Amino acid sequence: MRIIVPIKQVPETSNVKMDPVTGTMIRTGVEAIVNPLDLYALEAALRLREQHGGTITAVSMGPAVAEKALREAIAMGCDDAVLLTDREFAGSDTWATAYALSECIRKLGEYSLIICGERATDGDTGQVGPSIAAFLDLPVATYISRIREVTADGIRVDRLVEGGVETVWSELPVVLTVVKDVAYPRLPTLAGKRRAREAQVLVLGAADVAVRRNWIGLKGSPTRVVRIARPQVGRHPEMIRVKEPSDLEWAAERFVEFLRERNLLR
Amino acid sequence: MTQYRPVTPEIIAELASIVGERNVIYGDPDKLAPYSHDEVADRVFAHMPEVVVRPDSTGQIAAIMKLANREMVPVTPRGAGSGLSGGAVPVFGGIVLLLDRMNRILEIDKANMVAVVEPGVVTNTINEAIKELGLFYAGYPMSVETCFIGGNVAENAGGGKAIKYGVTGRYVMGLEVVLPTGDVIEVGGKRVKDVTGYDLLHLLIGSEGTLGIFTKIILKLVPLPTAKVDLLVLFRDVSSAMAMVPEIMTNGRIIPTAVEFMDRVAVQTTCRYLNEELPYEQCGAMLLIEVDGNSEAQVQQEYDTIGQLCLDHGAIEVYVADNYTTQERVWAVRRNIAEAFKVYSPIQSLEDIVVPFAQIPDLIPELDRLSEKYGVTIPCYGHAGDGNLHATLVSRPGTTEDEWREVEGKALVDLYREVARLGGTISGEHGIGSKRRDFMRLVMDETQLSLQRRIKDVFDPNHVLNPGKMFPEAAPCAS
Repeated sequence: MRIIVPIKQVPETSNVKMDPVTGTMIRTGVEAIVNPLDLYALEAALRLREQHGGTITAVSMGPAVAEKALREAIAMGCDDAVLLTDREFAGSDTWATAYALSECIRKLGEYSLIICGERATDGDTGQVGPSIAAFLDLPVATYISRIREVTADGIRVDRLVEGGVETVWSELPVVLTVVKDVAYPRLPTLAGKRRAREAQVLVLGAADVAVRRNWIGLKGSPTRVVRIARPQVGRHPEMIRVKEPSDLEWAAERFVEFLRERNLLR
Repeated sequence: MTQYRPVTPEIIAELASIVGERNVIYGDPDKLAPYSHDEVADRVFAHMPEVVVRPDSTGQIAAIMKLANREMVPVTPRGAGSGLSGGAVPVFGGIVLLLDRMNRILEIDKANMVAVVEPGVVTNTINEAIKELGLFYAGYPMSVETCFIGGNVAENAGGGKAIKYGVTGRYVMGLEVVLPTGDVIEVGGKRVKDVTGYDLLHLLIGSEGTLGIFTKIILKLVPLPTAKVDLLVLFRDVSSAMAMVPEIMTNGRIIPTAVEFMDRVAVQTTCRYLNEELPYEQCGAMLLIEVDGNSEAQVQQEYDTIGQLCLDHGAIEVYVADNYTTQERVWAVRRNIAEAFKVYSPIQSLEDIVVPFAQIPDLIPELDRLSEKYGVTIPCYGHAGDGNLHATLVSRPGTTEDEWREVEGKALVDLYREVARLGGTISGEHGIGSKRRDFMRLVMDETQLSLQRRIKDVFDPNHVLNPGKMFPEAAPCAS
């Protein structure tokens, strides 16, 4: 069984500062890491390989430095890695990215599964995984919390849905996007790190994957980021002061009213 | 023994005139209670203050000390309250002098590579402030995000990186100090060398708030390392893990930034507490080894060498964390041990023993023996690289308070005797405070204790500053 895991390199966001004027992230000196939610996709793939054998290919579209993320994926245990990089891809939105990745995956030959993280921690859209499925005309199952069984003709998985869990069966190949419950990611080992250092990352450009040039990059992207704003978080407290014991009843009533005004009481 | 007087309304009024009314906490037990203890889990060491004052200048502190001497009221200085020896606990009541308002970074002198700070600055903030300049303050207690620099200096705090960078004292170049009498002196300065007279600077560092209150601290800074990698190494047993410490330095010829040790009980309890799913079940001990430097290639070569040495010596697995996210994940296991055991049982004694680092393997069987003999759980973790271990005596479920008191005292005496026999001592970085004062005689003879006591008398003739600490005799009801 061959598994493809598309991953993204993202800024390490726990130390990120925002520019108060432009509302954008200050990127200087910010470390780049594998999108934390993609680690769960990698782990799910590694466990499937442990049970069923096969190979795992990590794929990423991004600047040349994204190779570092791919090497981390190899250090965790992926067999090989493909970097899709080209100036022409710059500025791609989720639609153009999914299109380019799907054309790249088409190039890679046979596979049974594509496993994606739920979303990237920077863009936070969760659109690329399902869009890849759409471009490749494959079934997709999102929010996978558990992979129950894989047989020759299909896969049975649990989806985390509002209010419960949905068990679905799909034929292969299929695109899955996984949530954290699926498997806790392992740490890369020393042996893995050494293998990753030696490994050849296959680098492909726009010409190599035969994409339509007007479907990629900024010009191929139907959406634009026009403004980034920070949400204002306000607690809007109200002090209810009780000075005399006789105030208590009034204060309690005011408190109930306060909760009701904010729809916190049924 | 010194007789102290209670804090009267007149004294409160005078304190209010010094620091302002809103900086005096008085009369409300709920508001005073947080200042009755530090991070020592066992509340037997707690004691309520009569009043808490929050000065914000050297002059105010000097005035408070003069008042304390005149009125014979004890003063206990307090930083963030994150200490682990009861050092900030007002064991005779009186005044707690809180330094949280003195939290300014006064100067960053890039050319001389020093920072001048007030005692209430959170240690981590210093590094945040100087990071952009490519500078680094290398003193590193484990509680770096909460503790104050003043407390670090008072305790001469160590931490995880002492093996390479040394402890707090190495980075303190000068101090402005309010003496117990209320006089103000400056010792040291921005100079790298100084042999003028006795080295009072290093007498004051680690004096646990008994000789003076630091109001300005001059810190030495070093170039900020740009590359850092952590290895989490799993071993089958404690002895093979411990054998790695001298091996890395002598045969590997590398001084790592940190070598942290965790035994099986510590690892399992913390991983469960954190929901961390490392394959720890078959692992008898873990080392967390950090290397840092200014070249990625060199750091890579160093971690390769260390990792390979570990594998050659029977390590089960070597994990590599070379980015912030993974590093936080592996350090979380080490940092949360104390917290995890507080959840397991707050009836415990977190110890701070230190032995020459090559003697650690000799100490471990003794911990097992004590655990067996007294029926206590003794997780052991700490700074393997410098021989400082936080063996913790934790009561097993169902132990009564009385049973525990009896067992704790006996087990500690046994433990400390063995530590002393191995060339070690009872505290490496947490300090003596009130928690360990009655055990001082196990590691220090009467001649030296008397010398130390006389030093205290010279600085603090009325014994008003942080009494009841360090010296066995000073205990109000020494057991």
